[in-house]
Amino acid sequence: MQQFVTVTLNGLTLAALYFVVASGFTLIFGLMRVVNMAHGSLYLLGGYIALEIQTRWFTSDSGLGLSLSGKSDAEYSVFAWLIPLVLATLIIGVIGVVLQQVFLRWNQGQDLRQALITIALSVILADQMLAYFGGISKDIAAPSAWPTSITLPGEVRFGFFRGVVVLSAAVLIGLGLYLIIKRTRFGKIVRAGVDDREMVSALGINVNRVFIGMFFLGALLAGIGGVLGGTMISLAPGQDTAFLLNSLIVVIIGGMGSLGGAAIGALALGLVDAYADVYLVFGDLDLTNYSIIVTFALLVGVLAFRPLGLYGRPA
Amino acid sequence: MFRRSHVALVAALAAGAVAGCGSESGSGSASGDGAKKAATDGGGGEPIKIGFLSDCEGAFGSFFEPTASGANLALIKYAGAKPAGEKPTDGVTGATIAGKPVEIVGYGCADDTADKAIEETRRLMEQEDADILIGPLSGDEGIAVANYAKEHPDKTFVNGIAGAQDSTLKVGAPNFFRFHPDGAQWSAGLGDYAYNKLGWKKAAIIGDDYSFPYTSLAGFVAEFCAIGGQIPKRVWAPLGEEDYSSYISQIPKDVDGLYVGIGGSGLISFIKQYEEQRGRVDTERMLGNVFWDDPLVLKEVGKSLVGGVTSAMTAADSDSPDVAAYIQGLKDNYGDEIAGAGPSVFTYGYYTGMTALIKGLEAAGGDVADQSKLQAELAKVTLSGEEAPWGDVKLDSNRQAISNVFLKKIVEDTTGDGVPDVQTFARVNDVDQTFNGAFSADTPAPDRENPKCEAGEAPPWVGQSEDVSFGE
Repeated sequence: MQQFVTVTLNGLTLAALYFVVASGFTLIFGLMRVVNMAHGSLYLLGGYIALEIQTRWFTSDSGLGLSLSGKSDAEYSVFAWLIPLVLATLIIGVIGVVLQQVFLRWNQGQDLRQALITIALSVILADQMLAYFGGISKDIAAPSAWPTSITLPGEVRFGFFRGVVVLSAAVLIGLGLYLIIKRTRFGKIVRAGVDDREMVSALGINVNRVFIGMFFLGALLAGIGGVLGGTMISLAPGQDTAFLLNSLIVVIIGGMGSLGGAAIGALALGLVDAYADVYLVFGDLDLTNYSIIVTFALLVGVLAFRPLGLYGRPA
Repeated sequence: MFRRSHVALVAALAAGAVAGCGSESGSGSASGDGAKKAATDGGGGEPIKIGFLSDCEGAFGSFFEPTASGANLALIKYAGAKPAGEKPTDGVTGATIAGKPVEIVGYGCADDTADKAIEETRRLMEQEDADILIGPLSGDEGIAVANYAKEHPDKTFVNGIAGAQDSTLKVGAPNFFRFHPDGAQWSAGLGDYAYNKLGWKKAAIIGDDYSFPYTSLAGFVAEFCAIGGQIPKRVWAPLGEEDYSSYISQIPKDVDGLYVGIGGSGLISFIKQYEEQRGRVDTERMLGNVFWDDPLVLKEVGKSLVGGVTSAMTAADSDSPDVAAYIQGLKDNYGDEIAGAGPSVFTYGYYTGMTALIKGLEAAGGDVADQSKLQAELAKVTLSGEEAPWGDVKLDSNRQAISNVFLKKIVEDTTGDGVPDVQTFARVNDVDQTFNGAFSADTPAPDRENPKCEAGEAPPWVGQSEDVSFGE
């Protein structure tokens, strides 16, 4: 029972992280029909920028910095985590806008070309990050004052950052996005744009400004995800593609462009992932090694019955 | 969950998502920008070209400079070299062996995967034209390089610190030499300690899912089970995993103890997440493999490991003057930080490997045109004194080291640097690779399920470990 609760919490917290990252991905797609293949790079870059700010401003490092997690044993105040979080997120948001204005704006409506451009960017970014930040996995330090773990009823222990911070961040972000989409003028335009882009621009709305806002928001979410993920798990080369893949699975399950779909998709992916890692044992037959396949079985299953995803609508 | 192989999957999905675009296969490939050639200025004639191969990426990337410092120190002490820069991978100058200049053609950087190790081996041996390779660092890489060695009998390969059993026991390349114990040998004595001293009857094991931890844990399983212990559960997590939460929840609570075979950067994540999930690292019920008392690990999570017991070929608290001279050598040439990693098996393995290579080359008159003579001499090399400050080394017929192993406990800091210390309490002598026949070329290679847990004849050192107490 204890194990089941822990595994479920693992799944939920993974789902929370996937949701934060994938929500940005799905919003951009929903409005602009751009499959931003550089979304994973923005995730990783966001984490690395936060780490860089934290290391430069809040620790005093010297020598070769031989370390397995890329972290010194300094004390970290709450600001040593929050300031990098805010700055890195904003920087990634701006990078997202630049990416959209410089590379994608003049290709509006050409899905394939835009996807290829963003793939190219993600490959270039991946190599640049490898060259600059190295190939060793690194953690962003959480504030030292925060507890490492909390005890839930039934003697279940769980990580504080993972269980409390990441989960509540995801819930807050989900609520915030819901309010933006449902209650603001910007949200109205976005929703209208998801349904019929041509009509929206025909009504005299400056679509370019909406696109800028959307890309800023989408990239920002990738950046927040990067900082949360970098603290909860860690940052390493290859996580850009891993999180792009996760985002793709989440939005394909949930339906491209749907926020609720992203939440459901993230939950499905996170929980299936966590359960398959542990419970794929049949007597003596231990298949946990193949748990990743179950994730794709889920994907195949959803697509077989709902080709547009659970909440997807035709473009 | 987060693995490199995802690139292909992403490409496939991307293709679907944008209705059939081409596939992409870009993974990061920086080939050791720290790798610089070390020009030589002394001696005459054709230089002896040595390629150095270690990891600067992946789970063990942090050990790049320490491994280079070990190899360089041997050249500095026994071949008259001088460091060419502050960083070990800046290279060395002026090395000569048997009157011939020595050139390090490159400090190759792999990432703990076999394919990257072979790519770098090819670059060093075929493009940079090295005569001899020293390396690699990690288990799967070692097996791959040993197989490469088999196809290139005219060149010589001295293992760096890769500890998978297969690379000497199974592959059997006549030109591949390992002057340090393998992962199973490093675990010698722990099964005996767990069963007879700690009273464990049932133990679980957890390790990274690749050849080195298979070997490392195999050593424990073979010994612990031979004398009556049982292993009800084996948990394997991918190497370099960052999220161990689901693996930790699989560790059973109804066992007497746990042997942890997780290494590199993953060990740091594992320890932190274990603390999160179980409150503390219950070290009194745990044994750790070679990584537990590595200086880099102690520095980062040592406080959580106090009380844990581990074993390997080095002992940081040794009071031997040979050990002191070795550490001082590192300090004089590369400063405190590198010297601090001196007791790491990573530094030490490359040191003994390069030292043995220098001795072999001296004996062969520096002849690298026909390396059969060098290989014959290397097979006869033994190390002692300052050449192998933690214990004499000789090779068996598989060109695999026979040496001693220390059992150590991690204790509270006594030196005032804030980092827990290592206290050695026993030494197991003459540990050989076969565990008295439990492992041979015909037994199944260590893997997720092998060796099976079976009672049988105990290795000769069971009950024979010698009490050791340094500094008293």
